[in-house]
Amino acid sequence: MAYTIQLIVEGFATGSIYGALALAIVLVNRSTGLINFAQGSMGVLATFVAFGLVQLGAPLLLAMLVAFVFAFVFGAGVERFVVRRFEGGDPDTAVVVTIGLFVLIAGIAALIWGYEPRQFPSLFPPQSIEILGVFISLRSVGTIVVLVAVMALLQVLFRFTKLGLAMRAVADNPQSASLSGLPVSRLLMVGWGLAAVLGALAGILVAPQLFISPTMLDFALVYALAAAILGGLDSPLGAVVAAWFIGIVENLAGAYIDFIGDDLKIAVPFIFMLVILIARPQGLFGRKVTVRI
Amino acid sequence: MKNLLARPIVRLLLAVVIAVVIIVAPISSSSFINYQLSLIAVFAVALLGLNIVMGYTGQVSLGQSAFLGLGAYIAAYGVRQEWPVVVIFLLCCIIPAAVGLLVALAAARLRGLALAMVTIALPIIGVPLAKRFPDFTGGSVGSTVSWLEAPEGSGLADDQFRYYLVVAIAVVLFILGRNLVRGRIGRAFAIVKSNEAVALSMGISPYRYKVLAFTIASLFGGASGFLYIAVVQYTSPETLSFATSINLVAAMVIGGSASILGTVLGAIYFVMLPVVAGQIDSSRTALISGAALLLVLFLLPGGLVSLPRRIAQLVRGGRGGSPRSRAAADRPPTGDTAPRTTAAPEAEKQPR
Amino acid sequence: MSLLELEDVSASYGYAPVLHGISFGLEANRAEGILGANGAGKTTTLRAISGMVPATGRIRFDGVDILGKSPDRIARMGIAHVPEGRGTLGGLSVRDNLRIGAYQRKDRKQIDEHIEFCLDLFPNLRERISSNASALSGGEQQMLAVARAFMAQPRVILLDEASLGLAPSTAQRVYDAIRRLQTETGVAMVVVEQNASLAFSVVDHALVLETGRVSIEGPKESLMGMDEVRRAYLGG
Repeated sequence: MAYTIQLIVEGFATGSIYGALALAIVLVNRSTGLINFAQGSMGVLATFVAFGLVQLGAPLLLAMLVAFVFAFVFGAGVERFVVRRFEGGDPDTAVVVTIGLFVLIAGIAALIWGYEPRQFPSLFPPQSIEILGVFISLRSVGTIVVLVAVMALLQVLFRFTKLGLAMRAVADNPQSASLSGLPVSRLLMVGWGLAAVLGALAGILVAPQLFISPTMLDFALVYALAAAILGGLDSPLGAVVAAWFIGIVENLAGAYIDFIGDDLKIAVPFIFMLVILIARPQGLFGRKVTVRI
Repeated sequence: MKNLLARPIVRLLLAVVIAVVIIVAPISSSSFINYQLSLIAVFAVALLGLNIVMGYTGQVSLGQSAFLGLGAYIAAYGVRQEWPVVVIFLLCCIIPAAVGLLVALAAARLRGLALAMVTIALPIIGVPLAKRFPDFTGGSVGSTVSWLEAPEGSGLADDQFRYYLVVAIAVVLFILGRNLVRGRIGRAFAIVKSNEAVALSMGISPYRYKVLAFTIASLFGGASGFLYIAVVQYTSPETLSFATSINLVAAMVIGGSASILGTVLGAIYFVMLPVVAGQIDSSRTALISGAALLLVLFLLPGGLVSLPRRIAQLVRGGRGGSPRSRAAADRPPTGDTAPRTTAAPEAEKQPR
Repeated sequence: MSLLELEDVSASYGYAPVLHGISFGLEANRAEGILGANGAGKTTTLRAISGMVPATGRIRFDGVDILGKSPDRIARMGIAHVPEGRGTLGGLSVRDNLRIGAYQRKDRKQIDEHIEFCLDLFPNLRERISSNASALSGGEQQMLAVARAFMAQPRVILLDEASLGLAPSTAQRVYDAIRRLQTETGVAMVVVEQNASLAFSVVDHALVLETGRVSIEGPKESLMGMDEVRRAYLGG
């Protein structure tokens, strides 16, 4: 029993990392209607920036803040100079554009830092705590807490600030928003910038475990995409709940179903995704949209 | 130039010249070059499949490598079991097509991004799955075979023999593919791609044609897996990896979406890029590949195949001449003016 | 000098020209009607003003050239466009829609007063202040769109086919409110309308567009007396 609870908590923590990335995907999708396949590699690039600073002797928290700023600027720049051209056009072309970005950014990271995985310091102490006979790592607890805090912050941003209101308006209908004088172009850049910060957060949370490498977030991205689709692409809460669900279920399935094991557990979220997509194409939490002809 | 190409006699001559080059090329080339040329034929088939579902029918598929890998595994297994070559080839087509059909029956209900996600799952689940059945696949080590040696007395080296075999099959598949996309089914694909509601109103079921396109793409993917084993004689989970799928999508777009010639150019790019980049530094392959893809999307949305037209456009100055003359060439002359005048009030009513 | 001045404005969608040299002026505090059949270029004229379609010629607002500026900049200068199809933000509540209208304003107290003014003007909206705009009826959405434009405190409101798709009595109520808005606040308006009698309830001067050209223009009274206007746009 204790082992099961441990598996669930760890799944929760892993799910939180997918959740951060899934939030990024939802944010981008809501503001620009695109799926950014480069979300993971953008996060990795920012994590590498933190890594470089740590190597130069900077404290991790400072390195992280700089990485966030870098991610924000980079994300905003990608929107403005690459993605802008393809917004509102053929969505399949836009998918291919972000795939190109994905390959390119991973290539840039590899060029500078190489493919060799390297150690990355953790934000949390390595100890575990014991609660009622269950050992839970502080890393897991910390990761979960960070994600919950991020979600709360996003809620505050979108519900209670003028910037958040404006971002929701642009996501809802960019043209009407511009007719009300909203600086749509800048708001889209902010959306992408914030998403990139979330990606960087996912990278920094996962790097101590996986070791940092250009392909570090590839699998997390796939999980995050599955979570975003499961949760409904326009629902931040749905995406995070789905990410937690995926993290927990795959951990349990990997441990308890022999055939699945550790390597095939990635199939679990996809099987769920397929079933749910067929039963409920708008996702578990998404709004039903009628497709315009 | 354009008028010259339009003449049947010129086209025929050109085809003969190309055929002669294809036939003569391996005789004077090194085995390395023959190997590369054969690989181009292999991946051209895989890309043709991808182009049918993505370029012609407009459905994003990030799973083409899974069918390539499946075909390769089937071929390698068949060789080890000493099945006849023809049987192996047929199985390499039928099994992936059947798998593709099953996936498509579920996935074709979905649109754009959801479809992309489901197809992404194929290589991502395929790799651990392949490792799980080492008796069939050889596990992570992969599976090596030795077959298709040149028959004695043919006077051909192995690489030349395999080249001819692979190219011959690829040419046949390309002729089939070309007839498909130019025919009735191809027109249905194009309508599904441009507007599903219109397709429905014309009695074309988008769902059925998407399933069909996806199945055909899987069949071509499986066939290219057979060709892959014929040339490389080895396969591993790497063949069906996600990275291969991504690179196939990149190559297809770079070569030219919805274009037969573009497919061939894409295959040349796909095979040559690692060779060229590898000579500099293998970690730059991804960099060059990503940059090339974005450059093409920005500057040459039609892919490499549209380069001559684009240059002609730039030379003539502006965008005035070329698209018009193309429109006039594609459509009967009466069709040109009529929709244009009605387009004006229509345009005003559009919501964006 | 007029508040809004169009001079020889032409526009096209791709190869299809829609406007051929439109000119007119709008004085402060006045309302100008644009009448015409489908496809005459009415909507395009408004879109050219608010920067949504590229145009040539000259468009000046308060003496400043605005042609070629982006829609959001033109909106911030004081031109509020109520687009055809209403353009409400469906996923946002009625209150948030109104707040978005006032996005560029800093005077919080006045904003609240103006929200009150809008709710008096359109009592239906008061009951639905917290519902999503997408849940409103067509007439309510049109009211919300007009109210949102007003919340920007613009100097000109561009109104595009506010009666489209509404039952006659609802359309009448919307236009009654628009007239009240115009007379009480003195905001200048360009009213595009197919239903000329509704437009004439607000405007005092109008022009008629035919295939992208101004065919007739003049004060309301003289237009109403013309046979061709009556036949085509007043139903008799």
